[in-house]
Amino acid sequence: MRPFKFTNTTTSYAAINLLDKNPNASFLAGGTNLLDLMKEDVERPDELIDITRLDLTSISSITTGTNSRGVSIGGLGKNTDAANHQLIRKNYPLLTKAILAGASAQIRNMATNGGNLLQRTRCSYFYDTAMPCNKRMPGTGCGAMDGFNRMHAIFGWSDNCVAVYPSDMAVALSALNASINVMQQDGKIRSIAINDFHRLPETHPEKDNVLNRGELITSIELPKNNFAAHAAYVKVRDRNSYAFALVSVAAGLVLDGNKIVSAHISMGGVAHKPWQALKAEAILKGKTATLTNFRLAAEAEMSEAKPLSHNKFKVGLGINTIISALEMALKGTDFKA
Amino acid sequence: MEEKNKSIGKAVNRIDGILKITGKATYATDYPAKNMAYAVLFKSTIASGTITNIDVSEAEKSQGVLAVITHKNAPKLNLKGGLRGGALLQSPEVYFYGQHIGVVVAETFEQATHAAHLVKVEYQKKEEKIDFDKLAPLAVLPQGKELADLIRGDAKGSIKEAAVKVEETYETPIEHHHPMEPHSTVAVWEGENVVLYNGSQVINGAQTSAAATLNLKPEQVRIISPYIGGGFGSKGGQWANLVLTAVAAKIVNRPVKLALTRQQMFNSVGLRQRNKQKISLGATIDGKLISLAHETTTHTAVDSEYIEPCGDCSKIMYETPNSLISYRVVPMNIILPTYTRGPGKSTGSFALESAMDELAYKLNMDPIELRLKNQPEKDPSNGKPWSSRKVIECLKEGAKAFGWEKRKSKPGENKIGNHLIGYGVACGTYPARQRDSSAVIKLNRSGNVVNAIVEIAASDLGTGTNTILAQTAADGLGLSMERITVKIGDSNLPPAAGSVGSVGAASFANAVNDACIKITNELLVKSNKKFFVRPTASQLMISENINDFETRADAKPPKEAEQHSAHSFNANFAEVSVNVYTGMAKVTRFLAVTGAGKILNPKTARSQIIGGNIWGIGMALSEESIIDPRWGNFATRSFGDYHVPTNFDIGKLDAMFINEEDKIPNKMGIKGIGEVGIVGVAAAIANAVFNATGKRIRTLPITPDKLI
Repeated sequence: MRPFKFTNTTTSYAAINLLDKNPNASFLAGGTNLLDLMKEDVERPDELIDITRLDLTSISSITTGTNSRGVSIGGLGKNTDAANHQLIRKNYPLLTKAILAGASAQIRNMATNGGNLLQRTRCSYFYDTAMPCNKRMPGTGCGAMDGFNRMHAIFGWSDNCVAVYPSDMAVALSALNASINVMQQDGKIRSIAINDFHRLPETHPEKDNVLNRGELITSIELPKNNFAAHAAYVKVRDRNSYAFALVSVAAGLVLDGNKIVSAHISMGGVAHKPWQALKAEAILKGKTATLTNFRLAAEAEMSEAKPLSHNKFKVGLGINTIISALEMALKGTDFKA
Repeated sequence: MEEKNKSIGKAVNRIDGILKITGKATYATDYPAKNMAYAVLFKSTIASGTITNIDVSEAEKSQGVLAVITHKNAPKLNLKGGLRGGALLQSPEVYFYGQHIGVVVAETFEQATHAAHLVKVEYQKKEEKIDFDKLAPLAVLPQGKELADLIRGDAKGSIKEAAVKVEETYETPIEHHHPMEPHSTVAVWEGENVVLYNGSQVINGAQTSAAATLNLKPEQVRIISPYIGGGFGSKGGQWANLVLTAVAAKIVNRPVKLALTRQQMFNSVGLRQRNKQKISLGATIDGKLISLAHETTTHTAVDSEYIEPCGDCSKIMYETPNSLISYRVVPMNIILPTYTRGPGKSTGSFALESAMDELAYKLNMDPIELRLKNQPEKDPSNGKPWSSRKVIECLKEGAKAFGWEKRKSKPGENKIGNHLIGYGVACGTYPARQRDSSAVIKLNRSGNVVNAIVEIAASDLGTGTNTILAQTAADGLGLSMERITVKIGDSNLPPAAGSVGSVGAASFANAVNDACIKITNELLVKSNKKFFVRPTASQLMISENINDFETRADAKPPKEAEQHSAHSFNANFAEVSVNVYTGMAKVTRFLAVTGAGKILNPKTARSQIIGGNIWGIGMALSEESIIDPRWGNFATRSFGDYHVPTNFDIGKLDAMFINEEDKIPNKMGIKGIGEVGIVGVAAAIANAVFNATGKRIRTLPITPDKLI
């Protein structure tokens, strides 16, 4: 790990100003990803601004604005606390399930909600500084494109980067249509829809998301929904715990009897961002909730996948996982708040 | 001594359990030394070539740095000293990706790590040999004579006449040992002598190889290793890091600590190589084997040969008039493979026992029945009688305990919700051997209380050596276990075999037992009395008013062991559940039934067996390391990519032992259980997956993509 300066602060605005003073500084929250990357010499900040003392941890009902009757989660709250809070377990069991499907209990106890959104890819070519990687070192090429890319993207990748974004939490947030509140340089708050928050790699894979330098995630807002009773998160991985998704699916069904009023489906492990299954959602809207319709929707969604040399299996697996998640959602959330 | 007062055979707790869970057991890096400096290795980023320039100037100037050691300034070491894997900084040549090319020594670990990042290296690359799939056709006969083709009858000819045949190739990937304690050393020089605190499965082997490599006499090197945080073969032979710590300490003239990082563990201390195993089975229509061929193709390092003996199980498991065991090997620019839990047998049994399951399916026969039909009376490879062989009992009692009768013979018929359930069985074996070991017993009496110290340069990987030696000495001396102090893990103690190849318990315990018998005999002579009932050493110390007495025994394996074929055997039963949508498989139940002679301590023995089973579950379902053939690096480079099982991956595990009295392999009847626990496990699981899904997976691991 390279030597660095350690600074701490107690207000969001002061934190933003400190970061502004040093172009090589980074915010430090839970540190479960950043410190690992510093030890690997991938991230090389010369100053860490500790933001863990900021008052951004509360979970509360929203009473005004567009997300009124929804729930707000503090950007610096711990993943564990978000997953286990009564407001979340009762109204957004999908989020609880997704968070608990990620990492390990120890990591979730340290990791923050805002930090989770800013997780970097787990692509091993990104982690290995001897390897080419446009995300780590723009212009060096993509090691995974012609390398070992079993874990990599099947949607939305570019010639510059085939990495996937690893968060489970964000896949649920995508299906829940959350918005991310961010404090800008001027101290004002702007709101970014979760599905606009992460980017596809295009020509700039080094940019994971649309945050401007110096912006700080203050909270995540979950709008009210009516599919808490019919939600499921299915994560397919190489072992039963503590592994990143090969494919994951967050699904929620708003039902009127056996008719699907609306379906909310997002996928993880397939793209540089949580992948909204918009085609599947469109097909299912207004249809009856049957296995045949689930399969039709899943196959349509996966029909435009562009797999790489080692991950062709993700297409079929994606179909199966969407069907499985929808079937589980239809049965009813297997979860007591 | 009355049976009820004996310690051996009782499920006693580990005598060092409290020390371990309270953090008081001292592992290599726990040894404090005044004025310690910290060393960090840095590694090559090519697989083959020559270092043309290595610029350490920036690293040397970095804060806290005491020395940067590369091939340019390293002292001359003996490359043939017995260390494994080269990488001793003796030349600019690079033979594999991740070879050590230098060491930074600094005041702190962090400073050394940082400085290591500042070293700039230029290479002249040579063409690498790293793509095993492309190189496998070029494989040739190994140099090792024990791996020459073993031919009985005519396997290739006779299979043509077989009514039913299985001819398939089974592949296993590179696996890593990854013990919980990464390899680490503290080196402290005392004049011309050096003390090396270092986790070592073979204490005397570590001593002699370190000494020879450093151009010292063995007595100038002392290895201290009372506790080891696992090794699984990777701490059997020693690797460059041991000696480079001593070199660093000499150069900076201070004690030095060097611990490998988890990432460095991938390419510093050996690995289990990839194998392609072709099995050809021919049988009569009623299931009698007439032909068995086991042909292994594998790889080794470019400068040294190690091949795991995948054909070993096939030599002895089944009766067949025609048999062929062969090996072909190709050198590659990759670290030297090495002994990895159940070397050859864990991987070989996956191939053989999967093929037997395939044969049973083709014969429409229960796989247990097929195995029972082909049991050999004598060792088919050499005609020697078995010392004992309890395969039939393992299979029959295991089937009963596991509920084998509930297995559906047709695959895919046992479905619960979205899960397919399957049962699988597979057998395994591992040789039982005793190796030369010596032990000293020191008795001390204070009034009517006798205490004993047992000294032997044995090792304890975490398996329970300390405990079984205390049990052995307690029974041998007529004392309770609390009166025994066991001293192991120090090369200044009487020399002993190692905790390798399942020889540890038999070698160490027999040495201690011999010492107990000898000390009792010597006390009897000293007493100059005749006793109607033979007294214990403890009783003699008291009755003869002796304050201190000691003796040493040099134990050797019995001669008759050589006239027999002595092995542990097992039968493994697996139940798996496979999600029909996601392809995720879970081993919901596993039972290992083992016939391994005398079980000294059922509690630590059970831990050994289920530990092997868990390795086997990882081997079957998740462990695989991938090399990128463009560079020779591991694309799987952390525990995020290399998936050892988690608690959640493990269902209900059970271990049963078949009662087996067999004093032929050694006086105490110990066969050893360190390796056999993993043998047959992967095949039992793969066979269960077939029974569940109808999918025969011949390439491990069985990840979800292979089952959808």
